[in-house]
Amino acid sequence: MSRGPALLHPRLSREPPHPPLLEPSPRSKAARLVLLYIVSILVALVITAILVIVVGGSPMSVFSAIYRGSMDGGGSLGQTLDASIPVVIVALGTLIAVRAGMFNIGQTGQLTMGATAGAFIALNIDAPGPVLVVLALLGATAAGAVWAGVAAGLRIWRRIDVVISTLLLNYVALQLLAYTVSKQSLLQEPTPPGGEAGGLPQSALLPGSARLPHPGQYPSFGVSIGVVVAIGLVVMLGVLLSRSRWGTQVRMVGCNPTASRRFGVKVAAVAGGALLISGALAGLAGGVMLTGSVYRVQAGFDNNFGNDGLLAALVVRDQPWALLPVAFFFGVIRTGGNFLLSTGVPDYLSQVLEGLLVLAAVFPPVYLERREWARRLRSARSAVMRSAT
Amino acid sequence: MISSSGRGRPGRIGARWRPGTGAPGRGTTAGDGQESAEDTAAFELRGVTKNYGAVVACRDVDLRVARGEIHGLLGENGAGKTTLMKVLIGLTPLDAGEIRINGKPTVVRDPVHAASLGLAMAQQHFSLIERLRVWENVSLAHRGRLTKRGAIAAVSEIGARYGLESSPHARVEDLTVGQRQRVEVIKCLSLDPAVLILDEPTSVLSVDESRELFRILRQVVTTENRAVILISHKLDEVLGATDRVTIMRDGVAVETLMTADADAHHLARSMVGRDVLLQAEMAAVGLLEGSAASPLADPPAARTAVSGPAGAIPAPDPSEARQATTALHIDDVEVLDAGGRPLLDGFSVTVGRGEIVGIAGVEGNGQSTLGDLLSGLVSPARGTIDVGGVRVAATAPRELLRAGVGVIPEDRHASGCILEMSVADNLVAADLDHYTRGRVLLDRRAILERARRLIDEYDIAAPSPLTSMASLSGGSQQRVVVARELSRNPTVLIAVQPTRGLDVGAVEYMSERLRQAAADGVGILLVSTDLEEILAIADRIVVMHAGRNMGEMGRGEVGVERLGLLIGGHGS
Amino acid sequence: MSVTDLTIILSGIVKLSAPLLFAGLGEYTAERAGTLNISIEAMMLTGAYCGMVGASATGSAVLGLPIGIGGGLAVAIVHANFSHRLAANTFVVGLTLNALALGLTDYLFTSFQLSSHSITAAKVPLLSHIPVLGPALFDVSWPVYFLFGLVPAVWWALQRSQWGLEVRACGENPHAADATGITVNRRRRQALYVCGMLSGLGGAFLSLGIVGQFNQGMTAGIGYVVIAAVIFGGWTLWGTVLGCVLFGTADAMGLVLPALGHQLNPQLLLALPYLAALAAMVFLAKSYRAPRALARPFSRGLA
Repeated sequence: MSRGPALLHPRLSREPPHPPLLEPSPRSKAARLVLLYIVSILVALVITAILVIVVGGSPMSVFSAIYRGSMDGGGSLGQTLDASIPVVIVALGTLIAVRAGMFNIGQTGQLTMGATAGAFIALNIDAPGPVLVVLALLGATAAGAVWAGVAAGLRIWRRIDVVISTLLLNYVALQLLAYTVSKQSLLQEPTPPGGEAGGLPQSALLPGSARLPHPGQYPSFGVSIGVVVAIGLVVMLGVLLSRSRWGTQVRMVGCNPTASRRFGVKVAAVAGGALLISGALAGLAGGVMLTGSVYRVQAGFDNNFGNDGLLAALVVRDQPWALLPVAFFFGVIRTGGNFLLSTGVPDYLSQVLEGLLVLAAVFPPVYLERREWARRLRSARSAVMRSAT
Repeated sequence: MISSSGRGRPGRIGARWRPGTGAPGRGTTAGDGQESAEDTAAFELRGVTKNYGAVVACRDVDLRVARGEIHGLLGENGAGKTTLMKVLIGLTPLDAGEIRINGKPTVVRDPVHAASLGLAMAQQHFSLIERLRVWENVSLAHRGRLTKRGAIAAVSEIGARYGLESSPHARVEDLTVGQRQRVEVIKCLSLDPAVLILDEPTSVLSVDESRELFRILRQVVTTENRAVILISHKLDEVLGATDRVTIMRDGVAVETLMTADADAHHLARSMVGRDVLLQAEMAAVGLLEGSAASPLADPPAARTAVSGPAGAIPAPDPSEARQATTALHIDDVEVLDAGGRPLLDGFSVTVGRGEIVGIAGVEGNGQSTLGDLLSGLVSPARGTIDVGGVRVAATAPRELLRAGVGVIPEDRHASGCILEMSVADNLVAADLDHYTRGRVLLDRRAILERARRLIDEYDIAAPSPLTSMASLSGGSQQRVVVARELSRNPTVLIAVQPTRGLDVGAVEYMSERLRQAAADGVGILLVSTDLEEILAIADRIVVMHAGRNMGEMGRGEVGVERLGLLIGGHGS
Repeated sequence: MSVTDLTIILSGIVKLSAPLLFAGLGEYTAERAGTLNISIEAMMLTGAYCGMVGASATGSAVLGLPIGIGGGLAVAIVHANFSHRLAANTFVVGLTLNALALGLTDYLFTSFQLSSHSITAAKVPLLSHIPVLGPALFDVSWPVYFLFGLVPAVWWALQRSQWGLEVRACGENPHAADATGITVNRRRRQALYVCGMLSGLGGAFLSLGIVGQFNQGMTAGIGYVVIAAVIFGGWTLWGTVLGCVLFGTADAMGLVLPALGHQLNPQLLLALPYLAALAAMVFLAKSYRAPRALARPFSRGLA
């Protein structure tokens, strides 16, 4: 469950600038921020350790299991990378949409629709291997864009807030998937001869020709070619965002749509386009998951990757390059969590750890902003008191 | 309109409504009904200073206001009147000085605290919450001491007492601006304040509505012994409605005098701080009766006086300018608001190349819509726009940009710049296509180069082209806007209230730039409510009222009476 | 359809609507204050778990309820202080709390045994003998009766009390509210606390009043149904109540109809709340207005 979406409001980054007044030096600010990050992450780890102790486990063995499960050796490292791919792709799209002022929180739905469309193509079209994979991925991308396009359309024609429509559309998408895998005529896996009628609500496994190649599939290391796709996308879109006309227009529209319109930017096209790109990338992430590691669709296909991507985008606060390490960290917890059972601690702990660490990552910057604000307020107040006495 | 108690001298106290749970009635012991400016001051400010960054909004201001008087706070835009009152009601902390209320030094923490001390302010931009009903808004101001029944009673009772009828159950969003102001005043009066502060209350009111408001204020003062502070920049208002007046200029309280002892000339001089343009100034502040009698001073003299500090660039000879080709021709344009009410109502104007046309009028008569129209932000219901003789689709900002329309918008934060982005980005924001190589990537080097050049040329106080726009002062931000618009070599430039909120230096800079642009052949449409600004540089003046062009005159033919009548909506 | 069928359907509706209604009242309050509260799922799940823990610890299902309320409140306290004291994005926090609550309850539930407890049904004399309606409405787990008081109470609190007036002001125009002297973020936090307590109650009712035990992830997205109900209701109290009952009915149909031998597409039923909310916004766009500052963080400048 917890198929909840989340989105950061564009206005968040538009706090009014404060007048410069007894500004602490930038260096001490940075140092304080780093220190706070360390402290809050430590707190998250301590809470986790306490939880482990409470159920009678050993924190050290838990943390080492997470390390072993995610990074120790080529095999687990490959799995971790695989698990980071969808997070990177989803987060990248989210970041673009948010930058353009479109608060998309419908990644789960867009990813699900992408995977469903991809599965439909991969299972129904007869084409040689590479072509089929590419077709499936393109279909997934298009489906994600269409699903986000519904929200874009509702925004333009009915002025429905994107946050609300994308949130609601998530659950519609999940039920659409559930429906398609419950109908033999659509995606449900054919009942094996002699099997019970009805069958499981899932699609058939993708044929080998429809799967992403895993280059370097040695016993020690295997990672799908999706990694190349993800890194390529980050580089390409990172450059476009910071260096291109389109990237500048995206920022303009996100910061001030009225002024942007006056400057000749086609606001609806840029903002709507950013939302579509976000949906397309979420759909692509679904396609990559489908063809790269899961190979079939079923209820719960999204496996919370849509939300992780959304969270990653919000945690990096508008820095596309930071997505790579943050997504890797999400991958570490995910794959490392699989090793927890060996320690006798329920593997649900990994979800707790992830949540605590996200909160720990969110806390320091907002805390410092708040302190800064309070400090200014105090100094302004004390000036009042001085003058009154 | 109940007006039986009008300017009633006898101290007749109407049936006073009191907050339901009984806020301790402050001593509004009216009764003797005498104007007692010499009584204990209702409040007193001593040496109040307030800075916004480097800008001094108020400097060492002393102000003493007594019960039973209407005290005018007169000054031009940006003189520090509003800031001073914000300090008084605790909306903004002061940097130095003290506030004394009923003789005691007091720290006013916030507006609620101020209300409990008997200070209530009707804000210029209403503090009403639109989706809520009138009684709910009134109740909010009482912070828990007023039930629904009490609030409704208050609205009705105050409405009846002052002839300010307003339905307590109406939603504020359904009310007209004038009605909202009424609610704002009711809200303040329901707090039973010792001091009622009104910030430019007539800027959104019609003549009749203003007259009604002043009648009510007189009643508030004479029969209930409250003090009223009337913030205004209009001389006739201050002369007609106040008992004493304090004049502010550049953050300083220049003087305080009995209104009876003052005349318009004196007030205007004191407010503007120089003798120049006195006549024009009087017209600008809407002084109709006083100035109607006396003919306007010789305009050329006025011009010389102002162009002195503004630099030696002479404005082109108007007659010559008018013969030049047309830069902009707006013909019979109608723009409607969401409710179908006309904002521009068959408005027409022509600007020649190299000509400066000033659009005068009281705020809210379609000026900002005109700016939006030429920015492509609103679509006209009918009418045409030609730029440089070529018809332009008014709904497409890109077309207007391409046709050579430059705009310095009224609200530069809303549509003039993008605060979160860098100075360089802002300088090229309207020309991104020009700096795009291969349709995709921007030429950063060329952008930075242009930014450096413009920063230098327009003397923008930015440490680097990459400085964020938000960290600049208002004046520097405006220079960025001007630099961007003028460097695009526009055919016509529309400047809407370009100097609002800026300091004197910025104002002079702006006039100089506009004149220079005109000398370079740009047609300039200067929209301003500040008549001095227009008279100083415009070749021709168009008066705007209720979205219509009321009439035009060359600068040689400006007559105060005619101007005043046009501004007031009395067409020829 | 026989009379007993009807009674079965009706009592199903009452049972399944009740948790939605508890939480819906809370979500309505939070949204009117300007928080599009996504962590309601976490609040309900925590409420359900804490309720059962409380019942197991005290041996009394009744005492489980306040502990469940406390669980929901705890989630609200974290969310409110992150988002409306510090200015952390409300969706990041909400989403994270949802994942955290799910992980934590799963983790603790698999580690510690909980006993089963249920709140007994309480018959209202006389009324429970009304045919069809009686057994469905007046022979139910007694916390349902709270609703008869809670709905008017929430209406009064928001529409008539000064607190509610201020809460609504914060959701509509926080800057004007601030100028009136309302501490906007404090009101928003308080509204979120109310939401946490009511959602915690809804969750505890789910585990203690309906199921009789705690199951992993037992809220299963009900929180989002509640959000859809508030949207469907056009951010009005009565609309929200209607939405909750309607979606509770859809839920009940999904359970009851197959048992009665009728076929209905289960996915459509599950998607219904979201489709209904979208359709309501599309077709009734004029009268559908979210609080103007919904999901807009407030921070007061120093100027």
